[in-house]
Amino acid sequence: MTRHAKRLRIAGLSVLQIVVAALVLLPFFWMLSVSFKPATEAFAIPAELWPRNPTLENYVLALRPEFRRYFLNSMIVSGATLAITIPLGLLAAYSLSRFQYRILSVFLAMVVLAQFFPAGAMIIPIYKIVRSAGLLDTYASLIIAYITVTLPVAIWMMRGFLMRVPRTLEEAAAIDGASPLRAFVDIVIPLARPGIVATSVFVLIVTWQEFLFALSFTSSKEMRTLPVGMNDYIGQYGVRYGELMASSVMISVPVIAVFFFLQRQFVAGLTAGAVKG
Amino acid sequence: MTSVALDRVVKKWGHFVGVNDVSLEIADGEFLVLLGPSGCGKSTTMRMVAGLEELTSGEIRIGDRVVNDLAPGERDLAMVFQNYGLYPHMTIAQNIGYPLKVAGVPRQERMKRVQAAADRVELSEYLERRPHALSGGQRQRVALGRAIVRTPQLFLMDEPLSNLDAKLRVSMRAQIKHLQKELNTTTIYVTHDQVEAMTLADRVAVMAKGEIQQIGAPLDIYNRPANAFVASFLGSPSMNLFEMQVSDGELRNPSFRLRAPDNAPSALTIGQRPEDMAAVAPGEGDFDSEVYTAELLGDTALITVRIGHDLVSIKAPKDTGFRMGDRVGIRFDRDTLHYFDGVTGTRIEFETGGYAA
Repeated sequence: MTRHAKRLRIAGLSVLQIVVAALVLLPFFWMLSVSFKPATEAFAIPAELWPRNPTLENYVLALRPEFRRYFLNSMIVSGATLAITIPLGLLAAYSLSRFQYRILSVFLAMVVLAQFFPAGAMIIPIYKIVRSAGLLDTYASLIIAYITVTLPVAIWMMRGFLMRVPRTLEEAAAIDGASPLRAFVDIVIPLARPGIVATSVFVLIVTWQEFLFALSFTSSKEMRTLPVGMNDYIGQYGVRYGELMASSVMISVPVIAVFFFLQRQFVAGLTAGAVKG
Repeated sequence: MTSVALDRVVKKWGHFVGVNDVSLEIADGEFLVLLGPSGCGKSTTMRMVAGLEELTSGEIRIGDRVVNDLAPGERDLAMVFQNYGLYPHMTIAQNIGYPLKVAGVPRQERMKRVQAAADRVELSEYLERRPHALSGGQRQRVALGRAIVRTPQLFLMDEPLSNLDAKLRVSMRAQIKHLQKELNTTTIYVTHDQVEAMTLADRVAVMAKGEIQQIGAPLDIYNRPANAFVASFLGSPSMNLFEMQVSDGELRNPSFRLRAPDNAPSALTIGQRPEDMAAVAPGEGDFDSEVYTAELLGDTALITVRIGHDLVSIKAPKDTGFRMGDRVGIRFDRDTLHYFDGVTGTRIEFETGGYAA
C-alpha cells in the first residue's frame, strides 16, 4: 500500500470513528442538555443542542425526599448484591479454576445457558417464589433475585482472571510455608484484582439499572429503587422530561464515578514479570 | 544435618507411570543432580520431595522425618523454579521476606535477614523494585535469595538456569555452586542439560522413562555409562554408537568390521566418545568415509562423517587439514571402546578389549 493510500485509509477510519462516537454519545448529550433546559425549551422546535437559558430548576425539583429514598434503596440493594456476589463468586471461581471436576463442563455450560433466558421468562416463576417466601416488597426479594443473575456471570468472569494467575506462584507460596488459604489471600487475590474490580463494576451496573424485577417485587414507595422511581415522571397525562433527565444524570453519576476511579485497576499486565512468559 | 532418602517412590496418573520405583539416598551437604530428557520423571521426583505432588507409593524422608504427609511448608525446604515464581505485586524485599513473614518473624529481624540474603545474591540495590523491572538473571537471583533467607535444610532447584541466555547461565551456574558449597546445604537440582549436571553435581542421577538409569560421580558416569542411553545422553557431542552383528569372531555392520571380544552376544552396540576417535589419512584407519562437515570449535575441530544413515563425530586437533568432501580414515581406540548389549543396552565389561584383526 502506498503512503498516500495509507493516509487516506487512516483518514477514512477516523471519520468513521467520529460518526460512531457521535451516535453513541448523542443520547447522553441530549440527556445532559435537556436536564438544564427550562420546561419550555425541552420541546422547542427546531430542537437546539445547547440550552438557551440554562437552569438548575430540574435538579432542584428532582431532588425530592422520595428521590433520596430511592437512591438509598438502590445503594442498599446494589451494595448487598455486590457484597454477597463477589466473595461467593470468587471462591466458586477459584475452585473451578484450580480443581478438576468431572461436572465442570456441565456446570460451566449451565452458567452460560442461564444467560440465554431473558428476564421476562424468569420473572413469573421468581415472583411466585418470592411471594410464597413472603418476601414481596422487601430488599431481600431484590437482592436474592439479583444474585441469581449476577452470581453465574461473576463466577464465569472471575474464573477467567483466576486461570491467568500462574499456579507456580501458589506452589512457591506453599513452599514458603503459606497455607492454601493464605496463598489465596496473599498471592491470588492481589493478582486477580483487576478481574475482581471489573466483575464488581459489572455487578453494580446490572443491579443499579435493573427495572423489571424492581418494578414487580416492590409495591410501596419506601422500597422503590431509582429506575422504578423515575417512572414517576412518566405520568398518565404527560412526561416531565426536564426532571426525568435531571434524575437520569444523577443516577448516572455514581456509575461514571466508579468507572473513573477504578479504570486504573482495569489495566491488565499486573502479572507481568511473575514467571517467564 | 540433613540427608534425604527416597524409598521405592512411585508416581502414577491413572495408568501412566511417571516415576517408577525410584530409590535414592542423598548425603548431608551433597549436591545431587537429577538429569534426564523431558518427561523422564525428574521434575516429578523433585516435586514429590517438595510436597507439590503426592506419592502413589513409597516413602520420602528428610533427615529422620518421613515427610509423605507433610505440607510443603512443613518440610523445611526451599525451591527455585524454572520460571522464577516471583510474586509480581510484591517488591524484591517483600518477595525475599515472604517465607519469613509467613513464619511470623518480627519485622525488624525480617528486614535484617532480607538484607543479608540480598547481599549474598548481590541484589541490595534492587530491594524496592518489583520483579518486572529486573532482568532474567536478576529475577533468578531474587528466587535464590528467597530460598536462602530462612536457611532451610534442603534446596530444590528445578531447571533454574534454562530461561537464561547462554552467557548468563555460565556465571549463574558458578554462583549457584559457590553458594551451595558455602552454605553447605543439601541440594537436589533438576536439569536436562548434561553440562550443568557435570559441572555442578557431586553425584548425578540419570533418569529415563521414570527410572534411575545410573547414579554416580559425573566423571564415573562419563567414563563408565551403565547403558547405551546414559552413554548417549552424557557428553557433548554425544558418544558415537554403532549397532553391530557378531559372527565368526567379528563385529560387523555394513560399513566396517572389528574383532569381537570373547564371549560377545550376537548383537552388540559399541560406543566411542568423539575425543577418543581419530581422523587419519584414508586407508590408515578402521574404515574410510567422506567428511560430511568440518567445524572449528576453537580449541579443537569437530569432524563429522556419515556411516549409513548415522552421523559420527570425531574431535580432531584444531589445525586438522580435512575439508568437507575429503576422504578420511576413521580409527577406533581399542582401549576406550564401550560395549552395550545389543538388545537391552546394558553395559558389558569384557576381560580383554576387542582388537581388530
